[in-house]
Amino acid sequence: MPQSIDLLQGTLDLLILQTLALEPMHGWGVAQRIQQMSKDVLQIGQGSLYPALYRLEYKGWVRSEWRTSENNRRAKFYRLTQKGKKQLETELASWDRLSSAIASVLGRVAEASS
Amino acid sequence: MITEFLTRLRFLILRRDRGELEQELQFHIEQSIASKRVAGLSAAEARRQALIEFGGIEPTREQCERQLPGWWIGTVLQDVRYAFRGFRRNPLFTLSILLTLALGIGATTAVFSVVDRILFRPLPYADPSRIVSVGMAHSLEHEEFLMGRFYADWQDNQKPFSALAGQSTMVHNCDLVENNPEQLNCISFQMGFLPLLGISPVLGRNFLAEEDRPNGPPVVMTSYGLWKGHYGGDPHILERTINVDGSPRRVVGVLPRDFQFPTLETADIVFPMALNSAIQQTVNGGFGNPMRVFARLKPGVGVAQAYAEMQPIFESELHVFPAEARKEVRLSIRSLRDRETQNAQPVAWVLLGFVLAVLLIACANVASLMMARGAARQREIAVRAAIGASRARLIRQALTEALLLSCAGGLAGLVTARGLLSVFVGLAPTGIPFIGKAHLDLRIGVFAALLSCVCGVIFGLASALEKPGLATLNAKASMSRSHAFLRRCLVTAQIAVTIVLLSGAALLLRSFVKIQAQNLGMQTGGVLTVKAALPWSRYNTDQKEIEFYLQLEAALRRLPGSRGVGVTDSVPPGGWQGEFRYSDLVVQGKPRTPPGTGGSVASRSVTPDYFRALNIPIVRGQDFTDQDRTGNESEVILSRSLAARLFPDEDPVGKRIQTSELRSDVWSTVVGVADNVKNSGLTEQSGPEIYFLRRSVGDDWDGKRSIVLLDSVMLARAVEPWVRSEIASIDPTVPVEIEPLDQTVSRLADRPRFETALLAFFAGTGLLLAIVGLYGLIAFMTTQRKHEIGVRMALGATRGNILGLITSDGLRMVAIGGALGVGSALAVSKMLKALLFEVSTYDPLTFIAVPVLLTLVALVAILMPARAGMRVDPAVTLRAE
Repeated sequence: MPQSIDLLQGTLDLLILQTLALEPMHGWGVAQRIQQMSKDVLQIGQGSLYPALYRLEYKGWVRSEWRTSENNRRAKFYRLTQKGKKQLETELASWDRLSSAIASVLGRVAEASS
Repeated sequence: MITEFLTRLRFLILRRDRGELEQELQFHIEQSIASKRVAGLSAAEARRQALIEFGGIEPTREQCERQLPGWWIGTVLQDVRYAFRGFRRNPLFTLSILLTLALGIGATTAVFSVVDRILFRPLPYADPSRIVSVGMAHSLEHEEFLMGRFYADWQDNQKPFSALAGQSTMVHNCDLVENNPEQLNCISFQMGFLPLLGISPVLGRNFLAEEDRPNGPPVVMTSYGLWKGHYGGDPHILERTINVDGSPRRVVGVLPRDFQFPTLETADIVFPMALNSAIQQTVNGGFGNPMRVFARLKPGVGVAQAYAEMQPIFESELHVFPAEARKEVRLSIRSLRDRETQNAQPVAWVLLGFVLAVLLIACANVASLMMARGAARQREIAVRAAIGASRARLIRQALTEALLLSCAGGLAGLVTARGLLSVFVGLAPTGIPFIGKAHLDLRIGVFAALLSCVCGVIFGLASALEKPGLATLNAKASMSRSHAFLRRCLVTAQIAVTIVLLSGAALLLRSFVKIQAQNLGMQTGGVLTVKAALPWSRYNTDQKEIEFYLQLEAALRRLPGSRGVGVTDSVPPGGWQGEFRYSDLVVQGKPRTPPGTGGSVASRSVTPDYFRALNIPIVRGQDFTDQDRTGNESEVILSRSLAARLFPDEDPVGKRIQTSELRSDVWSTVVGVADNVKNSGLTEQSGPEIYFLRRSVGDDWDGKRSIVLLDSVMLARAVEPWVRSEIASIDPTVPVEIEPLDQTVSRLADRPRFETALLAFFAGTGLLLAIVGLYGLIAFMTTQRKHEIGVRMALGATRGNILGLITSDGLRMVAIGGALGVGSALAVSKMLKALLFEVSTYDPLTFIAVPVLLTLVALVAILMPARAGMRVDPAVTLRAE
């Protein structure tokens, strides 16, 4: 199993927002999606996932509702709100700035982020 | 903050039930199991691994709850609720802490309210720290004064001051002659006086230049009190002309309500001073009228520099004084605060020191109580830590409790302070400046609040810093060694501080007893002093005045029970009295004493019955007689000490003396010698004294006050109305003031009585608190050592052994604390010197009695809990294990 990396403070929120921007999803789905997309590097434990989801919800960036899941179970789905979308944009912008800054300090050319 | 609150409100209304998260997590686990089964694991193995991976549900739930904005408010409320439950469970602890805090904070706040004005608070003028009192000081007058002839010179030549202005030296009586007549206090000041202080009238204007000179337009300013009281706050007061002492004067201004003269005098009416240097060169023997001068220092100039710069001006004028007087006059410049409160400053500092010591004892007590509580709760805290309370949370809990207690204590302290302050103000003698104005205000409230918070944090942390070890869970609760040591130190320190307080109070008490017990040399019981304020306008000649008093004297002599009626211009032992220099006394046929030496002599102008009324024995020669009153001969009686100085080896009776200053070219014959009487206040060294016979001629009465003394066998209360009616039958319009002499004398001791009572109260409070602390510690340790005591008894220790064990433990603290206390008391008692009368600051009786007293009281506090230790039943304590 590849070693998981400690996430920077606030980065988890960004990952969750980005994941939910594609489609509404339940907690398990969010964790799986992040794990897949990071090629198993980032594994989000439930102990930090759910508090983060709650935090985002209290901030009004995501909203939750109970729906039926793909395997016909009742699950709680999280959906990005209008406010959340805006937040995601600003966080992405600042992430870009930060990562390119770090990259130039480290002497590496930043890969163009899509 | 608002969004936080709104979010909180929204989620409070749409309250999620706990099940929701449960379901969500359940779903998560099921998905996890499903994915593992897809990977090929068996159902049981998939479930096992999923659960392991998942970890605990409860921490997640707590983490989620913690995300709610303002989550911490709830935990604070929890802490508060928990604290209150704890307080209710242990009311004795709570009550003793609250009482201790209330006493400590209350006493500190009340005393600070009083001394604040004396020591710290800026005086009510613009930039008051730059105002100084300037003038000359003399051995007979310690407050700065300046004779009018010098004023112009000083003002023109001075460099250190940006402004200089004066007021008249004394408030004098004046009559408001209107349809509603009233006797008032009048004073005068210069045009520049109010601007110097930075005060402007609340109504109208200051005096103008043309008003502040001789024969200027007749104008006055009134006090706020007169305007509001006598004139009912008349808005047209400025258009009124009022009649003062028979001459009409226009009111041009009203002084502000809280205006206070820098001399702390009170006056209703102010005249312009109308100082003219040419006139001042001629009046009062060429010296001019005395005045009080105040000045504002230029920026950057200090009192010492001002003194140095004024010295040449002062010396250049010294030649005006007669040669013998030059030595006794000196230049004096003091800050206004010193001028106003110098006498009260020592007692104010001592009081502040005392009360801070009491506060220290109180804080130590509270800390000790909190530590005891902390020790008793170690198990409970260990349990809380074991089931997941973080260290921060435990510390916060302890701090919450401490702050709650200190807030409540602070509140109780404010209430106590209010009560104490009104007691102080009620008891305070007149000599303490500003005490009537002392009240609890915002500044002092903040001071108390700050104090209680500091106390709270100190003792809160003291109990919270102890790390609860898991060991405490299985061990029987036991106080850690260092903890016990700290508490012992606290109690020892308390005892030391208490010794300091007690010895201070005891010294003052000894001094007060000495003041009360001293022989005044005269009787005060049964003597009434009667003062009649004869209106100047009607009693405008000496003859009319003499007639009034002769009639009064005759009438009072006829009263039943009357033993003696005398008239004098002053009454010992305190208060105003006439004085002149010893060197001014000339004995016929003897060389004069060198000028300016020998100090001063008190002089009194009395009628023959004065000595009978006060029961002062004539030890040689004879008393004045009634026949002498109509004679031509000026007669005097000397006090024994004066006679001994003037006529060391001869009989003074029949000798002729002269007092060059008071009665030049009149020789007086000594007819007798009276015994010494205390005449310079209760605490000062008495001076020599000379009595002049007051004959019934105008010269002997001119310009002198007249006080009638009546010695009666009847009760003062019964005689007083008779005296009033006798005076009314002579002249019903004369205002009369009557007071028993013993009351006047007792008032002289008001100041030391007040100081003694206050310090004794604080020392008592300190003692009480320290004893509570000692008792608490011994009782606590006895309970903690129950097991040990049980073992000792089981091994054969007798009850006496146990008693000795506990008692010696307590007495060791008392001995160490006592020794430390006596040492520091001896070191600091010098500060009390200014307050003591005929008692050494190393008074042996005090420094023996106080430790003995404290040891006795401490012994009681130790023996009570020790007895409980003795009754320990080994069978019970050993089985309790």
